[in-house]
Amino acid sequence: MAPLIPQGIINPELTLFFALLLGIGFGYVLEQAGFSSAKKLAGVFYGYDFVVLRVFFTAGITAMTGILFFSYLGWLDMNFVFVNPTFLYSAILGGVIMGFGFIMGGYCPGTGIVAAVTGKTDAMVFVIGMFIGIFVFGHFYQSFESIYTGHFLGNIFVYDSLGMSRAWFALLLAVVAIMAFTITQMIEDRINKVSPEQIKTRPSYMLPSFLLVIALVVFLFLPEERRSNMREARPSELLAQVHDNEAYISTHRVILEIKNGRDELILIDTREQSEFERFTLPGAINIRADEILQRHWRPLFNQDHRQKVFFGNGNSSAMQAWFTAARAGYDNVYILNGGLNRMFSELFVDAEMPDTTAYNLQDRSNARFLYEARQFFLEGGLVDEQADRRQRIKAPEESEIIPVIGGC
Amino acid sequence: MSTIRNNYMNPYLAGFLLGMVLLASYMIAGRGLGASGAARSVVVTTVASAAPEYAEQSPFYAEYFAGVNPMGSWLVFLVIGVILGAFLSGAMSNRMRFSVDRGPNIRVRTRMFFALGGGLLFGLGAQFGRGCTSGSALSGMAVLSTGGILTMMAIFGTGYLIAYFFRKLWT
Repeated sequence: MAPLIPQGIINPELTLFFALLLGIGFGYVLEQAGFSSAKKLAGVFYGYDFVVLRVFFTAGITAMTGILFFSYLGWLDMNFVFVNPTFLYSAILGGVIMGFGFIMGGYCPGTGIVAAVTGKTDAMVFVIGMFIGIFVFGHFYQSFESIYTGHFLGNIFVYDSLGMSRAWFALLLAVVAIMAFTITQMIEDRINKVSPEQIKTRPSYMLPSFLLVIALVVFLFLPEERRSNMREARPSELLAQVHDNEAYISTHRVILEIKNGRDELILIDTREQSEFERFTLPGAINIRADEILQRHWRPLFNQDHRQKVFFGNGNSSAMQAWFTAARAGYDNVYILNGGLNRMFSELFVDAEMPDTTAYNLQDRSNARFLYEARQFFLEGGLVDEQADRRQRIKAPEESEIIPVIGGC
Repeated sequence: MSTIRNNYMNPYLAGFLLGMVLLASYMIAGRGLGASGAARSVVVTTVASAAPEYAEQSPFYAEYFAGVNPMGSWLVFLVIGVILGAFLSGAMSNRMRFSVDRGPNIRVRTRMFFALGGGLLFGLGAQFGRGCTSGSALSGMAVLSTGGILTMMAIFGTGYLIAYFFRKLWT
């Protein structure tokens, strides 16, 4: 269902309207939390005011828990969610530089803007500094490029990096946050010399903390997610499918679909890219067997109602792709039997206008079909269609890639 | 209008609400919040339109010449919203006034100097980090991205490591 805009449930033209709306909420909360004061923000590093830590971690944990449950329930499709890419050294270097910026400037970009709006002159200067910093990065971009774009590890998740399950990591993070809230409160009270009477008047956070931990513990015991590799098929079943020809789709069927311009098949060229670029079937996309399981192809394979047809020159590369996909639990996947070689020999070598006397009825209709198909392919009826269909088939994948413009 | 009211929202409530805004952002647009990206768009647009010969030489400005209008982006509109929201909140809580926020023991000039330097470093760092505290650290934490969490740890870790040397600024 969600995210609503990438899934086309909300008109993409309203994107900027929602950006504005969410921004208002963002700015309002930051200001209400007291983030328009550099002195208050910097307090987190000196122990006299931990408001940054409280707001930041509560927000992070809230959103994380929401995303966890919504994606589990199938309300939020993580394939359409932008997961910050990990460029290892760039991420760390950026953080270190920002750490210096935070201590010296007292703001971060979001809070700096908020503070500047409410009239803090120092924040206005901070924002000007920010523009200069970005300009400096642009000016020396070529020198920075190797570290900026180097050591790309993909859009990876921290629990995978640590070899933990998502549920365990979420629980651990929540527990650490609650402990941090408690300890920092004690530190803050000591530094500001708060009297015990005053401390007693504070609200208790036992209940929300308890509920959060309970929710995440429950999550720990929920059965595996639907879209995980737990659906993995057994190799023996797959071999049986190949043996019984259930895994194959005939060249005739594919020719027919292409001729009729219907959209029921997704044609996947499993050969090398160079071969794909030289020639492929109309509307086909290029995914090699070793690329099948990449995350960004998931939406493509999850279109359960469409048949996914792998093809190569013969059967072998398509077979590899088929095994990979079927083993990962993708449904409705097939191999083009005989591959392009058989298809072309049928279309262009064997297809002669049938000699009406020599064939039986079945052969004759086959031959007529191939003959007509040949005419169609030779007359270039597919050329116009090709561009059009290729675009349509790639659409789910493209809508997922959200450009990273400065990230933040 | 005589005194500045300092009764801020309960931080955990504020955090919860901020988390809800962030969650809504993911549910609606599939992406998180951010602030420095808009500043980048402003820089790219300004520099590329003022000095196109200069900008054409750097891939940093390529998006401008690719026919994309950087000012029509999600992040820019988000920050326009932030400006409106902050104004709304500041006005409602009677906190709108010109002042310089600084530690008790430094002069305004020192504060301004460090604010400029801090902003510069933050702007630079946010490019390497592919986002700032909101876009990389907070949003990265929400989706549990390795890069985002690394950036977050680096920001706060560095802050604590060097806090001692900058203590005169704030205490």
